[in-house]
Amino acid sequence: MVTRDSVATAGSAIGLVSLLFGWLTLKPNRLAAGTSLNLWETTGWGGTAIIFSLWLICFVLSLRGKERRPAAALSITANLIIIIILILAGLIASQLRQEETSLIRISLGSGIWLSLAGAYMVIFAARQRLPNWPVWRNLASWTGLAGIGVLLITGWLNDLSILQEFAGRQERFVQELGQHIILFSGSVTAGALLGIPLGIWAVRSKRVASPVFFITSITQTMPSLALFGLLIAPLSALSFAFPVLREFGIRGVGATPAIIAIIIYSLLPIVRNTFVSLTQIDPAVTDAGLGMGMSRFQLFRRVQVPLAAPLVLEGVRTASVQAVGNTAVAALIGAGGLGWFIFQGLGQAAADLIILGAIPIITLALVVDTLMRNIVRLSTPKGLAGGNQ
Amino acid sequence: MIRLQRVTKRYGDTIAVNELSLEVNQGEVCILIGPSGCGKTTTLRMINRLIEVTSGHIFVNGQETSQIKPEKLRQSIGYAIQSVGLFPHLTVAANIAVVPELLHWEKDRITRRIEELLALVNLNPREYAGKYPSQLSGGEAQRIGVARALAANPPILLMDEPFGAVDPLTRQKLQSQFISIQQKLKKTIILVTHDLNEAIRLADRIAIMESGKLVQYDTPQVILSRPANKFVHDFVGTDRALKRLSSISIEGFVKPAPSVMIDASNREIASVIGYRRYAWVVDKNGKLLGWLDRTNLNEATSVRETMVQGDIEEIAIPNNATLHEALARMLGQGFKSIPVVDEKGKFIGEVTLSDVEAATAEMES
Repeated sequence: MVTRDSVATAGSAIGLVSLLFGWLTLKPNRLAAGTSLNLWETTGWGGTAIIFSLWLICFVLSLRGKERRPAAALSITANLIIIIILILAGLIASQLRQEETSLIRISLGSGIWLSLAGAYMVIFAARQRLPNWPVWRNLASWTGLAGIGVLLITGWLNDLSILQEFAGRQERFVQELGQHIILFSGSVTAGALLGIPLGIWAVRSKRVASPVFFITSITQTMPSLALFGLLIAPLSALSFAFPVLREFGIRGVGATPAIIAIIIYSLLPIVRNTFVSLTQIDPAVTDAGLGMGMSRFQLFRRVQVPLAAPLVLEGVRTASVQAVGNTAVAALIGAGGLGWFIFQGLGQAAADLIILGAIPIITLALVVDTLMRNIVRLSTPKGLAGGNQ
Repeated sequence: MIRLQRVTKRYGDTIAVNELSLEVNQGEVCILIGPSGCGKTTTLRMINRLIEVTSGHIFVNGQETSQIKPEKLRQSIGYAIQSVGLFPHLTVAANIAVVPELLHWEKDRITRRIEELLALVNLNPREYAGKYPSQLSGGEAQRIGVARALAANPPILLMDEPFGAVDPLTRQKLQSQFISIQQKLKKTIILVTHDLNEAIRLADRIAIMESGKLVQYDTPQVILSRPANKFVHDFVGTDRALKRLSSISIEGFVKPAPSVMIDASNREIASVIGYRRYAWVVDKNGKLLGWLDRTNLNEATSVRETMVQGDIEEIAIPNNATLHEALARMLGQGFKSIPVVDEKGKFIGEVTLSDVEAATAEMES
């Protein structure tokens, strides 16, 4: 069957299989080993039947070919699954915690994580089939996330262990989130301020182009941890030689090496896209502009900038998403950021703490990606936006 | 209007343009032609200083170009190129407005100018002003390119193969349009092409170049009839006599010819036709209908019955055609003479094969 949507089918299959895995994990305290409870042991047969039948609907709909109506139904079902699973989880966690001592921890089991992953596979596959239905497309993308948001704000999920980890570290969380955003956005901004002129310079001079691309490509291949490590020695030497620098926060560890490393990582996508965006402009356009009497600067501002902007910003998008991830590693050299929770969690073998760091990082990357995609779209001149509209 | 004085362009050891001198008068179309690499485009681009001369002088309107700021110079000279180079992020209107905006024209004036120019190149302003270059066909883009070059009404136009990138049919149409626009505007134009037929059709004078040198600079007539050397002779080809015919209008060759009315009597016919083999038949308004053949006359009772109607559209030729077209019709129809009509189909006279031969012989001498 050619018309079957294999991604959605795979997602639904994962969802069905996930019901066999541990649904919730019960621990007597934060660090002790837990016991895994099955879906039917937590939600009872009623809840099990609801979730099972929803997944079955997904599976059947995914076999229904790539039409728009089943796709819309599919995306709504998958979003429902996400919300219902979390409502039930929150409810059961509260019940269990009232029955037992308040020390016990209830965390999401592998079954729930698999179900959520399966649901998002289904949503992404269904979204692809709704390009001309913007309303349904947005519903598909955001219903589940909005539901999670509501559950979080109303405190419905407060008895789950991740949120208990959060409750104890609320201030720290806000602080590290802010630090993360400052680190990655500041570095990417600096990377753009450095990379765009560098890209323009490389276009103007072939002598500059090859070393610039050589160096930016080499650094790109280095693991981020290695680059952080490499920067520690020279920076601490520098700060010992000139103690004044330390007053500005320039030290071997901390934010400075992180920022420098992330700037270096941002350079390749930004320099490369700037270079390509300018060299791909039809030489006839440049010739016509100059021939009609534009000065170099007028040509740059009125022709080259608008034609190159979308691709340059696309480079900034790549750099930004990449920087959100790299900033997580930066916590290891004391730069702070959401990575701090991950490394704390690893140190304490507290899985919930790791998740408390990981999920916001993924969300941040997705938000930055969406934001930058929209900026790229808005910066694309109408005449280039694709043929005959 | 434009004068090049011993202009040379060197790239390292190679000489692209060598001691070239050339003068183009106001309102004339000068066509630079030659094999690729002969330096014709380089010459064109030196005039608006997209390429700087190595030595020599170029004067535009009596002023030496090296004394004028390049941007100012270029804003006063229209520039159109083969690949057009429309700005893809701007609408047709905004593309045309580029130079007027550089010259700080007022908004109303620019808007009026855009409509004027679109009408001039036969594109509906309301339909085309808001389109983007990606929505235009090749021929439309070329026309917008020409409109853009004319935007600030420059007295001089430089065109580098402006009709090069379109199919032959569209090229023909664009050339006709070029001729009628030039008749209206009387610009001083330097145009680069590698198409000799285009040059003969459009040029007041043709400058033939070979490896950076000007070999001959003259009217199409003289170039075709008296090639300066073997290179020009070979370049214009063995069919140059034919090509030459396409630059001569038939107007000077139309002779009065006997014609009879459709309702003429046998005696009238006999007196008109005399010892000739045939006579043209017209209606009472002078519109050409067909012809009579002497051999059929005797048994005939009326003109209507003996008249050969033929396909008049195919046979008759308009009086603004060239000798080349006249000859083509004669050969196509197997006639020694063909009738000439005005734009309303009214019979004017005829052109004969011997006239065409005489014209050719005269040009050869």
